Amino acid sequence: MGNLNTIAIALVIALILFTVSLTIFANRFTRTTADFYLAGRKVGSFANASAISGDYLSAASFLGVAGAVYASGLDGVWYAAGFAGGFMVVVLFIASALRRFGEYTVADFAFGRFGSHRIRLVTVVMVLITSMFYMAPQMYGAGTTWKVLVGRGIFGMNPYTSGVVVVAAIMMFYVAVGGMKGTTLNQIFQFWWLNFAMIMVVIFAFGNGFSYPAALQAASDGTIINSKVVTVEQLTADDGAMLAKAEGVMSAEEFAKVEAVVDAGDSAAKVPVALPAVNKLHEMRDALFNEPGHRYNTFDQFSMVLALVLGTAGLPHILNRYYTNPSGAAARRSTFWVLVFIGIFYIMAPIAGLAGINLIKNAVANGTAPATADYVNGMLVKSDAIMPTIAQILGGEWLMGIVSAGAFAAMFSTIGGLLIASASAVGHDVYEKYVNPNASEKQRVFVGKAAVVVFALIAMGIGLGIPASGLDQAYPALIAMMVTWAFAVGAGAFVPMLLTGIWWKGTTERGAISGMLVGGGGSIFIIVLNILSQLGIIGKTGLIGFLGGLTFPTLFTFPLAIATIIVVSKLDGQLPKNLDEIWMRIHGTAHERHERDLGLDKVSTMFNKH
Amino acid sequence: MGDTTMKAAVPAGPGNSQTEIRHGAHVDTIENVDIVFRAQRKLSFTYGAWFFGVTLAIPASSVWWKGWYATPIWGGFTLNYLFVSLFYYVFLWTMAWTYSKQADKLDEQLMHMADADEASAAMTGKEG
Repeated sequence: MGNLNTIAIALVIALILFTVSLTIFANRFTRTTADFYLAGRKVGSFANASAISGDYLSAASFLGVAGAVYASGLDGVWYAAGFAGGFMVVVLFIASALRRFGEYTVADFAFGRFGSHRIRLVTVVMVLITSMFYMAPQMYGAGTTWKVLVGRGIFGMNPYTSGVVVVAAIMMFYVAVGGMKGTTLNQIFQFWWLNFAMIMVVIFAFGNGFSYPAALQAASDGTIINSKVVTVEQLTADDGAMLAKAEGVMSAEEFAKVEAVVDAGDSAAKVPVALPAVNKLHEMRDALFNEPGHRYNTFDQFSMVLALVLGTAGLPHILNRYYTNPSGAAARRSTFWVLVFIGIFYIMAPIAGLAGINLIKNAVANGTAPATADYVNGMLVKSDAIMPTIAQILGGEWLMGIVSAGAFAAMFSTIGGLLIASASAVGHDVYEKYVNPNASEKQRVFVGKAAVVVFALIAMGIGLGIPASGLDQAYPALIAMMVTWAFAVGAGAFVPMLLTGIWWKGTTERGAISGMLVGGGGSIFIIVLNILSQLGIIGKTGLIGFLGGLTFPTLFTFPLAIATIIVVSKLDGQLPKNLDEIWMRIHGTAHERHERDLGLDKVSTMFNKH
Repeated sequence: MGDTTMKAAVPAGPGNSQTEIRHGAHVDTIENVDIVFRAQRKLSFTYGAWFFGVTLAIPASSVWWKGWYATPIWGGFTLNYLFVSLFYYVFLWTMAWTYSKQADKLDEQLMHMADADEASAAMTGKEG
């Protein structure tokens, strides 16, 4: 245990030191706002694809996908496929047009396309809300990962708080100092590190005798059994119905531990149990690992897919990265490479989740399972701990260390992108445009850095507030759920505005604002109702109960936002006077051809000094 | 953006309804951009229809086609599991690659149209 922690911590510290050194290196080349927010628009397709992949693959992908597959089988695999599929919407409808428009942020696009300050400010607010929704699970992941991997706090803080504070402080430093160039370099490195960690886990699994079709067959031989932490009161309710179910699937030895807690008589006492899963899609069938239905009913099968594939195109930190490409065609090529990179990653993550079932069961039986995780009936109590757990089983302390560093790399790269997106929304979209339009480059870069510090502190506050609010008890897989909320808000707020703004000349400013408010606001409203429902604050009946029960609001909010934009635009009819000019900026290529003549499309100058 | 000259103009002469945008020596006219935009829109929305059709066909098959979700075909793999865990990515890669290539061709078409316009304008100027 001591050695395990030492090596894991040493590798994480090495990762942090390398990150800091890249930041200091990049800082030498950051002089202008274009450098700070967009890395001077000189990031080539391959490098940008690596950085986008690093930006995109967060704790939810590195820890959550394998955990979701481990716990839910095929319904968990959908997270991987949906996360990847989202980039098709980006490449088909958004990437090249956004880059050609040639601004800094999504709010810039809204302002340039619709010509009003009002829409820029609405977009800024939505960018900040979406980024905070996405930041929350990263900070929660930082706290929980620290708790599992390090196991102790620093400076008198508990382990969870230590993780949140340390990650926020590191991110504050390296994004504020290195800007987009430093963040880009770090994201490239971090993506390849976490990909390497995943590849190593899968190679070790195959080396250990894993056979994909055979393991899948074995895992699908009978109903999925899930672990759950419940109170004695829940366990003994309805004449002990849940207790009877647990007895039916747990070993005599494991069930005896549960009975001992029940016999102690404390109804509030919590105990982990194993329970058979129910098929929510085909109610007459068992919930099998290789069949759908463990997590989602018919409605959610469709709504979840839509939330994931549409949400990607609505994440501001991902969209901002498209402005760093040297051309529209390069933006498309970047997206193709992103699909290749993350596709390979997402093919491997479910393999890790499936391989973990037998590995953990055998390790628990042999008494060799890592002591840092909790188990019940040969399974992990918290499935999100599967990556570090199987890494230690397969490759000992070193593989555990590589995976630990990979988990932190996943969080660092995503938080970095979110901080840049938030800082650019305030520093560029508000300060430079409204507060001090005559600011010098030095003042602008300073405000951008100050905004990074402020948002890192806000993120830290959100991270620390999650356990206090009881959210971590209300949702069994909180990281994946929170990420899905961010996807839903982005899909409702930005994707309808971007799609219609790029592809329909008739879209008006009032239509776009209405669509953003209906799509984004509607998503937030339903998510808040869902949280209140899970916390038991509102009931589960009536219209409010129905809306509060929706796991993924996108199936409602996206078409509603599109319809709102169309109807309001038709009624409004107030098109920008320079619409043709705007249209040529979005869909024309004269600017790119001119830049090609001047050699400005070359990508090798990202680290030139000014 | 600052190192380029962008200019939009609506010449008032009869028979010349062009709006153009100029960056250095390169010009796009609204007519040319609209022609390529329509082709681009057709391309994007055709690919989009295929993408959403296939993507939503997976959960639809998961609900209504037992042979898709409940029949093992290789070890524990059902068609559903095999497609979602592996072939879906091949589908995405193929679509993204072929789409990007076709979209690049449309960019080139716009460039050739602009070049032809400029050559024609130069010729007219010489003749004038």
